[in-house]
Amino acid sequence: MAILETKNLSKAFGALAAVNDVSLRIEAGTLHSIIGPNGAGKTTLFNLLTGTTAPSSGRILLDGRDITGTPAHRAAHLGLARSFQRTNVFPAFSLLDNVWVAAFACAPSWKGLLWRRADRYPEVSARALAALADVGLADKAGRPVREISHGEQRQLELAIALAAAPRVLLLDEPAAGLSPEETKRLVALVRALKGRYTIVLIEHKIDIIMSVSDRISVMHFGSLIAEGTPAEIQRNHEVRRAYLGGVAA
Amino acid sequence: MKKETILLLAAVLVLPLVLRPAIASEIWIFAILGLGLNLLLGYTGLLSFGQATFFGSAAYVAGWLLKHYGINVFLALGTGVLVGAASAALVGYLCVQRSGLYFIMLTFALNQLFYFVAYQWTSVTGGEDGMPGIPRPAFLGIDFNEPLPYYVFVSALFLLSLWIMKRIVESPLGRILQAIRENEVRAEAVGYDVARFKLLAFVIGGAFSGAAGVLYAMLFGIVPLEAIGFVTSGNVVFATLIGGSGSLYGPIIGSFVFIWLSESVSTLWARWPLLLGVAFVIVVLFLRGGVVEAWARFWSWRSSKQKT
Amino acid sequence: MSLLAGQILNGIATGMLYALMGLGLSLITGILNIPNFAHGALFAVGAYLLVTAVNVLGNFWIGLVAAPLGVALLGLAIEYAGIRRLYAAGHDYQLLFTFGLSLILAEGIILVWGPVGISHLPPEVLRGGVDLGFTFYPKYRLFVMVVAGLLVFLTWLFLEKTRYGAIMRAGIENKEMVSLLGIDIHRLFTAAFALGAYLAGIAGALTAPIRGLSPGMGVDMLGIAFVVVALGGLGNLLGAIAAGLLIGVAQALVAAYWTEASTVVIYAVMAGVLLVRPQGLFGIR
Repeated sequence: MAILETKNLSKAFGALAAVNDVSLRIEAGTLHSIIGPNGAGKTTLFNLLTGTTAPSSGRILLDGRDITGTPAHRAAHLGLARSFQRTNVFPAFSLLDNVWVAAFACAPSWKGLLWRRADRYPEVSARALAALADVGLADKAGRPVREISHGEQRQLELAIALAAAPRVLLLDEPAAGLSPEETKRLVALVRALKGRYTIVLIEHKIDIIMSVSDRISVMHFGSLIAEGTPAEIQRNHEVRRAYLGGVAA
Repeated sequence: MKKETILLLAAVLVLPLVLRPAIASEIWIFAILGLGLNLLLGYTGLLSFGQATFFGSAAYVAGWLLKHYGINVFLALGTGVLVGAASAALVGYLCVQRSGLYFIMLTFALNQLFYFVAYQWTSVTGGEDGMPGIPRPAFLGIDFNEPLPYYVFVSALFLLSLWIMKRIVESPLGRILQAIRENEVRAEAVGYDVARFKLLAFVIGGAFSGAAGVLYAMLFGIVPLEAIGFVTSGNVVFATLIGGSGSLYGPIIGSFVFIWLSESVSTLWARWPLLLGVAFVIVVLFLRGGVVEAWARFWSWRSSKQKT
Repeated sequence: MSLLAGQILNGIATGMLYALMGLGLSLITGILNIPNFAHGALFAVGAYLLVTAVNVLGNFWIGLVAAPLGVALLGLAIEYAGIRRLYAAGHDYQLLFTFGLSLILAEGIILVWGPVGISHLPPEVLRGGVDLGFTFYPKYRLFVMVVAGLLVFLTWLFLEKTRYGAIMRAGIENKEMVSLLGIDIHRLFTAAFALGAYLAGIAGALTAPIRGLSPGMGVDMLGIAFVVVALGGLGNLLGAIAAGLLIGVAQALVAAYWTEASTVVIYAVMAGVLLVRPQGLFGIR
């Protein structure tokens, strides 16, 4: 059962077709990766899925329901959570507060929004701590963001996405800028999340993709040029040409 | 009780003994205005350069009702809060759709709109001459015409305002607004309608500014045209920045500094706005972060010295 | 009919001046990315410097050349001594700085020239009116229309057709790219501020014989300049010109029927446009 689907999704910026007639099916509970050279349109695709950018044409379906045109701030409430390629956290907050803000947004009730003390929402705090624990940062919950390393910030980035208890996680290059050691930890983390969430992953590091993905879609110049299991993609000539034909930016 | 609360209560009690009660009242009134601005500036990261719009509008409307319809103080206050909030909703609706420099310029331009309306509508506002003759109606038998009873009223309202603002900044809304300041894109991505929240911050800030406006009108018995002018908008920004926009109490300190400065210098020299301008320039070039941050830095420096 | 025609001509004349103000402010805000609240004060200084130059040098034409240059020099000094240190400081401090400057300049004007408004006659050759057929129109206003229009055109030409103008436009689009191309970004900023100040100064100098001078003339013009930029789009030079003309004509037309509302209408137009198009007339979403 496809939990997330796009039908002929396109986005043009003037004459540039950033995303061109992309039809994707993401099966529930799987980890579906999107790969492609720089500029292939992967992040734009994410922006379309989360409503950050409005599509030029085409449709997006979540659980069979048409969610095309939903504004960006509704995406989280629909169950779509996203992490960003460049770390996008709340710098002045502590780690816990970073995640708390995301958890509160999707809390069942906003009662007391203006007058209850923020630390008196036990379920929200619990969910925030759980998200931090999921990424292995629970012991640093009270620390401010500037005190943690870059790798830990990428973990926080992920925790913020988890805090909304989403159904679909859109992870945009979570391993960006990580050392080999940190990358290994991240992969283990992503593997642990498999099954609990449907994950759509954008990544450049091919070994990560091959080891965790159930399915892979390949984008090139905005279009989908191939789709299949990791093994099928490895054997695919189009893909080899796109990647090794000197077009990677 | 916390350190800050004790200091504040002490200040409230001692101030009328040290300064003329009228000036003491002015300080608390300006502090309320600063609290309203700082919700926008310090907490949400919105540099609203037009708070005088809400301050002045509330002063004019409440002043008019007080003068011509003899309403009581609490109704006047309520009116002020409502007018402040409503004008802020109007201005906010137009402004929150833009950001950065556009936002700042729009708040200023809309301030000018209200200013020129007030300037031209002389039959109601008195134009350049202002709206004089605003009474301070008695309440429950207490005569507010004496400076000291009015001071008690004003300072009590200030403490109430501060408590309300404290509740707001410690609430989830406070966190959401700060999240918007820290990273608007992410705040939107995690599920907050940023434009709506900015508008809410505007309305709350406007409500506080409106309350300050009414108290101001009753304090001086007149609503001068400057109350709705851009200089007032600039003064409250200055006061908030010099006190420190990063804390709840910054605007209070800033109010002290600004009112004391302006009251003492304005009597000495008609060209005192020049000194005010110089003060702005000096603060910007040398004293960024404001008094609160300088104080905090001083204390952390001292405590680190004591450890060695 | 002739009243209307006269008002439209007035509108074009003031619209050209508004366009000059808007152009200068648009350049400064677009390239330096700071809220320049001193822009109106620079306009006022331009007007007062013209009066002094004419009184001292005895010649309007020399004054018209000298006064804006004086303002440009002032702009250079301001950028060098203050604004340069504030590029990283954040809009609130930049605002406070330029706002403080505007107070200093306005009070400085009062100290030097007194608090009372001054009226200043145009030079002999430009006094009186000209018969245009459908109306009798003041010579000086025609002069302003032509000169301001010429200046707007020359500025546009400079920015669109010269190499340095292209650098400035590139600076509006993408500062990092410009500095990566090896161009001294600081000199660009200084030049942009000086040019913006010059435009404000000459607008002020041209205005002096039309409406007279007063220490508060800067603030009124500041608001209008902001409206022009908000409508035309930050850094959008053609937009600033179009918005300036639009506002000038709108104001003049309203002034013919409802004088008191003529200033308010500028802001009302802005509010109205932004309600429908938040990005301004020419801005991109």
